[in-house]
Amino acid sequence: MKSRFTFLLVGLVLAAMPFAVAQQTGGLRLPKTVEAGSAFSIQSTGSGKAVLYIVGTGQVLRRNVQLGETTFFAPADLHNAGHYLAALVEGSSTETGAFDVIAAHQPAALSFLAKPSRLAVDLHDGISGVVYVFDIFRNLILAPTQVSFQLSGVTRSVQMRTVLTHNGVAWTKMNSAAKEGVAQFVARVGDVASTRVIQQVPGNPCHLRMSARPSGQRLAVETEPVRDCSGNALSDGTIVTFTETYTGGESTVDVPLKRGVARTDMPAYSGARISVATGVFIGNEILWRKER
Amino acid sequence: MKRPLFIVCSLFAAIFALGSDPPAVRVEPTDSVGPRPLEKQTETAVIRDYLQAWRSLSGAFEQNRADLLDQDFTGAAKEKLADTIQEQVKLGIHTRYRDSAHDLRLVFYSPEELSVQLVDTVEYDMQILDGQKVQTTQHVRARYVAVLTPTEVRWKVRVFQAEPE
Amino acid sequence: MNTGRLLAIVIAAVTVALIVVGTVWPVPSAIAMAGSGSNLLRPSSSPQAAVQNLANEIGRQDWEKAYSSLANKNEFTELEFVHDLTGSYPSLRTYATLDSYDLRPLHASADEAQVQLKLRWSTVVGAFLDTRDLRVVRTGDRWGVCWPIVKEPRVPPQVIPVTYLRWDVIYRGTEDDWGSQDVEAPHVRIVDMHPVDRSRGVVIMGELLNEDVVPAFVIVRATLLAKNGSAIATEGSFDKISHVLLPKQVTPFLIEFHDVALSGVDSVLMEPSASLIAASADPVIGIEDQHFNAAPGASLSGKLVNQSGQVVTVAHVLGTFYDKNGQLVWVADQYVDRALLPQTPVSFAMALPADIAGKVSSERAITTTYSSGRFQ
Repeated sequence: MKSRFTFLLVGLVLAAMPFAVAQQTGGLRLPKTVEAGSAFSIQSTGSGKAVLYIVGTGQVLRRNVQLGETTFFAPADLHNAGHYLAALVEGSSTETGAFDVIAAHQPAALSFLAKPSRLAVDLHDGISGVVYVFDIFRNLILAPTQVSFQLSGVTRSVQMRTVLTHNGVAWTKMNSAAKEGVAQFVARVGDVASTRVIQQVPGNPCHLRMSARPSGQRLAVETEPVRDCSGNALSDGTIVTFTETYTGGESTVDVPLKRGVARTDMPAYSGARISVATGVFIGNEILWRKER
Repeated sequence: MKRPLFIVCSLFAAIFALGSDPPAVRVEPTDSVGPRPLEKQTETAVIRDYLQAWRSLSGAFEQNRADLLDQDFTGAAKEKLADTIQEQVKLGIHTRYRDSAHDLRLVFYSPEELSVQLVDTVEYDMQILDGQKVQTTQHVRARYVAVLTPTEVRWKVRVFQAEPE
Repeated sequence: MNTGRLLAIVIAAVTVALIVVGTVWPVPSAIAMAGSGSNLLRPSSSPQAAVQNLANEIGRQDWEKAYSSLANKNEFTELEFVHDLTGSYPSLRTYATLDSYDLRPLHASADEAQVQLKLRWSTVVGAFLDTRDLRVVRTGDRWGVCWPIVKEPRVPPQVIPVTYLRWDVIYRGTEDDWGSQDVEAPHVRIVDMHPVDRSRGVVIMGELLNEDVVPAFVIVRATLLAKNGSAIATEGSFDKISHVLLPKQVTPFLIEFHDVALSGVDSVLMEPSASLIAASADPVIGIEDQHFNAAPGASLSGKLVNQSGQVVTVAHVLGTFYDKNGQLVWVADQYVDRALLPQTPVSFAMALPADIAGKVSSERAITTTYSSGRFQ
């Protein structure tokens, strides 16, 4: 009787042991890394019901799971790259683990910073381009990726650079062309491209000459077409200052270029000295003497 | 037995609730940052604003208030963090992040001064609360890649992403 | 009764007394401001009284009364009289109010007198003075002012094509992604900077160049730094600058710091800032017959000639003064109170301090303009 009772008791204890072990030590089998947006699964051991938390700054998930079964996660359930903590909570016991979600390998978007959007012609390394490469879920692709930069403009010449990203970023510098005009600056990664427009404008004037002729009671002064050192005509609207100095006084006029030249009328004083300037660049001088 | 355990748990919770000491910060030399040389003032400002961003993140995730991210985050980083907070709200959970150490390395300063990239090996304590119940507390070490861009008064985090170590 | 209560009663009583005095015996300029009607005016029984009454009526903009009191009103119409004082085209005069006036008898006989009237007009950009030497004549027992009318020239009706360049700006939107292109801000550069000590404090003068191909809206701020690197004060150029700079245009600027000594300043941080602005290359203003007048009463005078077709409402003239080494010694400015009509010269004279005048060897003037009804 006593031995029967003891056997029954031991049997009951042995039968309950697996249940007791599962509650205390439900295990987690996690992938080490998951590509963003792809399906994955998490396995647990034991039996019974538990709650699985997947928590990170990128996303938060919670599932009610059955211990001992595999929990499947559909594609795009977890799509933000980052470091995640997985916690399996069953009653008062918790199992934890960690895994990383990495960016998808296929580039889908570029952030292309191209500066400046307007600069003078003929500047060595005057244009900079920086590209950050992202996947479809806006995760920075940290794996080295080839980026090609191309600058093409009014002249036939094309500048090209190919750069490998480092920590998701690639950069380059390009020269501005000798001729003014609009250039296209393109950054390309695989099938993804981004374009910026770079305006190349004339540089400082290299040649500023004016002439003067009588115009009724006054003097008509006019510049030759004003050009920079590469031969580009200065933009219309650029201010040219004419100054006339004579005994007892001075006259000045700020005149904008129109169709490449600046012209105006000034008082005609015999013996007057007329000069021309634009910005800090000074042109020629004329000594005006009235013909008798 | 139960009483000392209760006391230890309460102490731990108190540390989380009341906040901890400022994190230990180590910044590696920036001599090799390129392509643009990094001025000391810019370096100081970037690091200051990045660490401030961690404080904002901590407050936002603990209180489930995405508006607390506005000051220090922008663009995709802000949207993703705000979405995570929304998910927390739906699930009725919140998380506590307490950063205790940062090992910072500035790796890129763009030529036009419009972005700075840094890598941060950070250690933090993470606590998951479901309702009012603490489900777990873990000490985490992770490597974050962050890109900061300048705004009118500060540098804001535009990309904030952990990568495998 | 305690001291505080006694003091309060005394102050209240003095205040009431002064109000009564001011109401019963107002000063002439107060009458002009109050617009209180003829019962407070003295009859024109003397030349000074006649001029005072006229000035008060001008201050109240009671044009009908002012015109009817004139002794020579048969020489011009009421409208011409009004336009003499307020301008026939919108100008600073149109938006000015009479702040105060002074009169000074010059000469008097039994039937005729000369009185100088200085009208001080107040505008948003400062005050300007209009001085008239008035002939006052006696008719019976009444004196009347002969107003020295200044008739504004009329521009004949015509069509004037404007073909100068105009710039407009389209900015990126707030929804545009990071990295999306935006229009580049204009590049400006300080080409000259000179701090000087003055009696009131420190003055920073300089010149700013727009070296870009697009127009710029510019401001300049300066911060004085002490030897320990701390900021002493920060000020801006306010209106001592031409804010709109066309490509390759140079403007002077002047920044004043009050109650600061240059000896305490270790360095100056200059912060020019430029932003894109829609602008027009028109109007073109010629500055003719510029003449530097030495002290006493040192000034740069000249004439502004509007070479374009649109009427300029407000013209602001800025003068840059250099010594014999070409170094900048002063920046002065003046707002012209009359509209600039096409091809019609308008005089200006901007004053400069007497101690600076002795150093001036050359000068340069520029104008900046505002036309009502146009963006720029």
